[in-house]
Amino acid sequence: MTEDRFDEFLKTAAQGYNAPPPRTPRDEMWAEVQSARATGPRLVHGAGSAAAPAARHPFAGRRLWLAAAAAVLLVATGVGVGRWSAERASVRPTPATAAANSRRAAVPNRPAETPPQTDTQTMDPTDLPSSRVAGVPDDPAIPGSNRERTGERAPRVDNPPRTNGGRGRVISPAGRAPVPQLATAVPGGSVFRGGKPAPTTGFVAGSDLSANQPASAYQLVALRHLSNAEALLTSFRTRSEADAQLDAQLARWARDLLASTRLLLDSPVAADQQRRPLLEDLELVLVQIVQLSPATAAEDRKAIENTLQQENVLTRLRTAIPAGQRGT
Amino acid sequence: MELVAYESQSSVNESQLINRVIAGEAAAEREFYDTYVDRIFRLAFRLAGDDDLARDFTQATFITAFEKMGSFRGESSLSTWLHSIGVSVSLNGLRKTKRLREREAPMDEGMTVGTTWHHQQPDLRERLDRAIDALGEKYRTVFVMHDVEGYTHEEISGTLSIPIGTSKSHLFQARSKLRVALADFAPEWVS
Repeated sequence: MTEDRFDEFLKTAAQGYNAPPPRTPRDEMWAEVQSARATGPRLVHGAGSAAAPAARHPFAGRRLWLAAAAAVLLVATGVGVGRWSAERASVRPTPATAAANSRRAAVPNRPAETPPQTDTQTMDPTDLPSSRVAGVPDDPAIPGSNRERTGERAPRVDNPPRTNGGRGRVISPAGRAPVPQLATAVPGGSVFRGGKPAPTTGFVAGSDLSANQPASAYQLVALRHLSNAEALLTSFRTRSEADAQLDAQLARWARDLLASTRLLLDSPVAADQQRRPLLEDLELVLVQIVQLSPATAAEDRKAIENTLQQENVLTRLRTAIPAGQRGT
Repeated sequence: MELVAYESQSSVNESQLINRVIAGEAAAEREFYDTYVDRIFRLAFRLAGDDDLARDFTQATFITAFEKMGSFRGESSLSTWLHSIGVSVSLNGLRKTKRLREREAPMDEGMTVGTTWHHQQPDLRERLDRAIDALGEKYRTVFVMHDVEGYTHEEISGTLSIPIGTSKSHLFQARSKLRVALADFAPEWVS
């Protein structure tokens, strides 16, 4: 067979390639055109009509919304419980502080019930230099006081640091960065910083109860969050290309998880040297997924896949979730 | 092969029709639609291989055409202008959705147009369809428009905004690839 004969054969044989139906659905398409022009130029490719995606996944959107709302509620509740229990732990007297208080009560000329310590309070009297006389007032205006005896002037405070409500955080005069807080040394080794547990330890030393409660709450929330993130990333990886319409729903889900991830990054959970990088990588992936839409190019989806693979995010997520915690 | 000759469209007074469409005359819009919808739909269907996609692409083509009718400057014929929109919409839509037709569907469903399939081997039919699908986008478009839908190289050139020589080159390349792909069925075709 010559080349010309092959071309002729090809023309004939190729007539069946994607052969259109004998009748063009003129009226149906015209109705759609008119409808689309009446409501705007929005048209969803890949479905029979703009309403088709909703009909194809009648409950998918609602399920995703419920799951996302539940996840956000859970994380918010957990973070709230964690903060509440952390504040309670800082207020609750430990055995060491109780001993210090009883010692204070035994000091003459000092009221047995001192007001609650604030960030601006100075060191505990038990830590005073030896040159100072216990039981003598510190005010230089009072004759015979420690400062009056030593010639020490009261420190001038131009811009005294102010406390930030009851949260024990000290805000600098500029109102920006927290300034170093005055530490109250307590015999026994535990340290209070501005009414809040020292950030290095996270919780008050010497109190097992107060130390465990916030840790458990944060851990629980973190595990739930990681489980949800794993579910999202698995959904993203296993979705087919035909499910491009789901991208918008995945993006909404990811947006909620992104907020939770950032909350956790700002919580004691992120103090864990292994968990923090995972949360940071997860944040990066979620930011990418948030930008997904049905119109997203395939290269962008590929970039997310690459990030997932290069950083082993999914594997690390699964490793971080203990057995039995998935799907809870 | 069902061809709609361009000559039949010459009876349409294009400039008048365009002006009436721009003026928002409903009857003119419908006339414009009826004049070209068959050809646009056929081409969209050939490229997409899916009824839903072909409908979407056809609708999008006319919606775009109605929106941009005011900017039509008459540098090409109305038909060429509309076809360039149609091909662009179809190819962009296919890139976005990546929903190419599935070969698992029964072949007879789409074989209502008079063809010579009944005299051909099923394997050859399948192999040819797969080979056309495997062609690069530009080769497949030119092949479908020329060999399947009967467009001339001049029309293809105007629609795709490529030189006529490029259109011929793409067609030659497409046929060569198909010849190699079908070599099992006719070794003598492969030179």
